[in-house]
Amino acid sequence: MINNPIGTLSLSKREILRFFSVAGQTVFPPLVSSTLFMYIFGVAIGSRLDLSSTGMTYLSFIVPGLMTMHLISSSYENTSSSLFIARWHNHIQEVLLSPLSYFEMVLGLLAGGVVRAMVVSMGVFLVSLLFAHTVIQNPLLLLYFILTISVIFSCAGMMGALWAEDFGMLNVWNVYLIIPAVFLGGAFHPISILSRPLKIFSAFNPMFYLINGVRFSVTGVSDIPVQFCAAVSLLMAVFFFYSTVYLFKIGYKLRT
Amino acid sequence: MRNSDVAISIKNLTKYYQAFKALDNVSFRVKRGDFFAFLGPNGAGKTTTINVVTGLSNYQTGQVEVFGYNTVVEYPQSRRLIGLCTQESNFDPFLTIHQLLVYQAGYFGILPHVARRRADELIERFQLLEKRNCKHRALSSGMKKRLLLCRALIHDPEILILDEPTAGCDLELKFLIWDYLAQLNKEGKTIFLTTHYMEEAEKLCKTIGIINHGRIVRIGEKKEVLQDRSLESVFLEVTNPMNGGNHD
Repeated sequence: MINNPIGTLSLSKREILRFFSVAGQTVFPPLVSSTLFMYIFGVAIGSRLDLSSTGMTYLSFIVPGLMTMHLISSSYENTSSSLFIARWHNHIQEVLLSPLSYFEMVLGLLAGGVVRAMVVSMGVFLVSLLFAHTVIQNPLLLLYFILTISVIFSCAGMMGALWAEDFGMLNVWNVYLIIPAVFLGGAFHPISILSRPLKIFSAFNPMFYLINGVRFSVTGVSDIPVQFCAAVSLLMAVFFFYSTVYLFKIGYKLRT
Repeated sequence: MRNSDVAISIKNLTKYYQAFKALDNVSFRVKRGDFFAFLGPNGAGKTTTINVVTGLSNYQTGQVEVFGYNTVVEYPQSRRLIGLCTQESNFDPFLTIHQLLVYQAGYFGILPHVARRRADELIERFQLLEKRNCKHRALSSGMKKRLLLCRALIHDPEILILDEPTAGCDLELKFLIWDYLAQLNKEGKTIFLTTHYMEEAEKLCKTIGIINHGRIVRIGEKKEVLQDRSLESVFLEVTNPMNGGNHD
């Protein structure tokens, strides 16, 4: 599958260093907003909420939700902005003219999204230690979910970047689809408190499975069996990855 | 390389932009080691042909091969053999010119220490040393042209495709580029050049192809195409409708 490992690594390195070079815009803002979220909702308001049915405090409950939310938005934003700017300035041609296969191009471009998502989600977890002592229950499973979720949304970011015609369109999917789905998918509330119709609605929201996968990995508690969450995230990652490779192959908005 | 005698082979190539037929059943070959001038008026199909050969454009019918490698099916092999110097500068704005060349070499599978050395050699050869650690925005238009050439040459390609490389260059830079291209061709590199400067094509090239309205209207060795006339008069004859040139 990888015939040009040096090329793939070069592209990955460029994408990773790009977001590290502007860490003030890419890494720290989610950590600042998470700190505020945890203090206001987790500590100030959360201490008055009764979540005894889940066996957790509200703060412990929202930490995996916040990790997932930033995992998703960081990976999406990284690849969407990087690829869109490359299209805008037309320096995407540097990659398109190279002997990298379409598989390798997508792999190299998504590396930035995956690494940024890992850094940010672990940063959110470290910030949570300021407020509560949490021990990650399943570190390997957490790594699995971080990888699959970041692949899904890094690829979605590339699709968004290919689809967008201007900077205004770049965040349409994120603002109108992804973030609402994350909020409705149980990032900040347990499914048990919802009415029956909303519970059914949540079952059709893929974010519900991704958030519960991360929540189980961190706390050991989930609204649904974690095997199901793992299967959904893997299937989505494979689907989004190969769909993006296909778009590169047909040259969707990349070739005239 | 699979076929060492033919560098570029284009057979029955047709390309549409929506309803507009940009290339109409174009067929020609460029021999290995040739210095091929591909001429035509604005909008004739020169850049489209280049984009098809390099994989920047899709096409509807035909077959394009680079040293025997099909540019669609075997694109990693065909792209490895091509260096493209585009008409306009399109550099990554976040990278210095040295980084830009090193990354570009990396995409072609060149190890970092070799890439750094080669980037330094090209930067020195094209007199960009003082701008080595600057971003491309700090370069003048002539320097950007030189950087485009450096980028096209960083992986030591077998075929160098140049899309109007001297457009907007001062005389000194033009001569620098001409000398370098002549030297590369002497060393065995195949060069495919589009230009609007007839004297450039006449001075440098061995073979000339002229395209107009997406069709090849004249092609052959320089002597055969010119027949003791100037290239300018041949060009005007085959491209200007008033002179009976090919047009739709």
